[in-house]
Amino acid sequence: MKATRFKALAILVLALSLVAAACGDDSGEGDTEELKVAFVHVGPTSDKGWSWAHDQGAKYLEANMDNVNVTTLESIPEGADSLRVFEDLIADGNTLIFGTSFGYMDPMLEAAAAHPEVTFLHATGYKTADNMGTYFGAAEEGRYLAGMVAGSVTETNLIGYVAAFPIPEVLRGINAFTLGAQEVNPDVTVQVVWTSTWFDPPVEGNAAQSLLDAGADVISMHQDSTAPGLAAEAAGAKWAGYNTDMEEFAPDAWLTAPVWNWGPFYLKTAEAVRAGTWTTEQYYGNMADGMVDIAPYGSSVPDDVRKLVDERKAQIISGEFSVFPATVTDQDGNQRDLGDIFAMDYFVQGVVGDPAG
Amino acid sequence: MTRRFIVEPRGVADSWVKLAVPVASVVAALVLGAIFLAITGNSVIEVYAKMLKTAFGSWRGFSETLVSATPLILTGLAAAVAFKMLVWNIGGEGQLLIGAVLASGVAIMMGDNVPAVAAVVLVISAGAVGGALWAGIAAAPRVYLGTNEIITTLMLNFIAINLMNYLVFGSFSPWRDPDATQFPQGRPISDRARLPEFGELIPGLKSFLHRLDLGFVIAVVVAILIWVVLFRTPWGFGYRVAGDSAGAARYAGVKVSRTFFATFLMSGAAAGLAGGIMVAGVLGKMDPRSLELGLGFTGIIVAALARLNPVVVIPVAILLGALINSGPALQSIGVPSSTAVMLQGAILIFAVAGEFLIRNRIRRPDAVPTEVSEAEGATA
Repeated sequence: MKATRFKALAILVLALSLVAAACGDDSGEGDTEELKVAFVHVGPTSDKGWSWAHDQGAKYLEANMDNVNVTTLESIPEGADSLRVFEDLIADGNTLIFGTSFGYMDPMLEAAAAHPEVTFLHATGYKTADNMGTYFGAAEEGRYLAGMVAGSVTETNLIGYVAAFPIPEVLRGINAFTLGAQEVNPDVTVQVVWTSTWFDPPVEGNAAQSLLDAGADVISMHQDSTAPGLAAEAAGAKWAGYNTDMEEFAPDAWLTAPVWNWGPFYLKTAEAVRAGTWTTEQYYGNMADGMVDIAPYGSSVPDDVRKLVDERKAQIISGEFSVFPATVTDQDGNQRDLGDIFAMDYFVQGVVGDPAG
Repeated sequence: MTRRFIVEPRGVADSWVKLAVPVASVVAALVLGAIFLAITGNSVIEVYAKMLKTAFGSWRGFSETLVSATPLILTGLAAAVAFKMLVWNIGGEGQLLIGAVLASGVAIMMGDNVPAVAAVVLVISAGAVGGALWAGIAAAPRVYLGTNEIITTLMLNFIAINLMNYLVFGSFSPWRDPDATQFPQGRPISDRARLPEFGELIPGLKSFLHRLDLGFVIAVVVAILIWVVLFRTPWGFGYRVAGDSAGAARYAGVKVSRTFFATFLMSGAAAGLAGGIMVAGVLGKMDPRSLELGLGFTGIIVAALARLNPVVVIPVAILLGALINSGPALQSIGVPSSTAVMLQGAILIFAVAGEFLIRNRIRRPDAVPTEVSEAEGATA
């Protein structure tokens, strides 16, 4: 009895001393200079969508890197006024700045030119400098898989797609989604409604409702809020989301979603900047490197569908399967070369809507 | 015995009251903000120091404050000029945007074919014309049919927003940059149509005033001109009489409808000029994301705080510009993004409440006159 108590005490003391040692190590690590990293988001980080996903990445960076100081600015409007936000961050001593929305491109480029000692990383853009890189990922891989799930569960064979802007990124997603849906269900039609906004819950919800009224029984989206899912849930329809796992908001409607995992990229970039090894690049992540994934399936997704999609996912990761073939049939039934997917300006066969908006 | 407070009209307010009440309103808003910050666990001094430092603590911050103030001076004028005449134009937002549409349209049409100074004048004038035309859509039915301009100008804001977005995001119009394939953007205008920055005119100023351009000077000059027209010309006299009493003005021979119409258009032109100056100045294109910031609505706050005085609009716009600019910087010291917005709202509410105190006094009925003046002192 006494012996076990002693043992327990000894283990406790040992554990405590280990914790103390660990803490001591942490604070004693004075050899790395503090790295001040800033994130600038267009939406609120509570949106559970695009900005939230980036904020999760920022938190991952904070948790996995020593001596890093992360500043997060949310709801910063895009456009010319954002220049002063970047300037303020630089004045505060930040040396690595991530801008997570397209509309920061020109102001970031201007700030980068004026401050060569600061490193800038711009999500979704295409302009670079020696101290400004871009990053984005192949969401189309997740879109294709979400399309397979949606195509499998639709009964009306009409899938509604609430989409923000008619730009290559969004068209790419719609086409990949449609090709995925057609793989499992050749009769499926994807109807697109444009909202002209990334984040506007009432507009997104109304757009989803109009598609449900038109007979769609699955809603997909390229939007940042949960509103289309709420509309689908209320109508007893299904929902393929975007950005993050949003199952909790519409548990019955939830199928899956292409999701982002920015954390490892942020960590890798910050470590390279600290080590002085970072060089400018246009990083395009994918499922293989983990930047893109799909969210866990909803409870209504049948086992055989899960199995089928999981197999495809493994093939995408291994490189055996590419979501876009070299030639595709466009909306009007003409065969055409796939072309540059970063300048995609057409819909594939099976999409109803105007690719020009 | 309980003595209640009574409210009674002040008659003509002393000029010190007119100054003290708005200043006290801002102070009260800052005190309310301080209480809010303290409750939410922020250091009040740290927050206000950060705001002050961001907006005025460096040349760059100061120049950015003036950059933000430039459109606010003009949208503030748009509201001040209209409200004084009891023209309830709350369409400054839409008039600014249509000003930007017309200004950038003229700039794109001209290309590089017009000499620099003429090009700039044409572009920003087109902005004013655009704003006046958009206001005219609401003004004509108001004057001839008696429609409610609050509703029409408000609704026209949404049409303007959607029209601007359509031109860039929804169509391949001349306003859209054909080279921006990844995401729609406004087409850049020729450098000849751009308002010069101070630093371009006098190189030594670049490190002080950064990207501040002549638009700020134009806004200040317009404010002074409007003050002169309203307070130093016969037309301005008719305008002011009509604003106080349409009946009296009519009796005195003022053409009230015509004055009303002209005021409406002048208001719209000021807001449209703001859009034109933004396009020719900091933006260099019709960039919907940089234009749709609620500047027209903020102009109403500016006008209310400036008590509809065109010249007072200038310092008030600078103050609100500073407030807007310091908002994002607060997040870097851990304050929620909504705090600056809340402060703006608080200042508006206090300004409106202050207006009440300028028109009325609050006193206890049994008080002797000396006590009244003490109570007044406490109020201010």
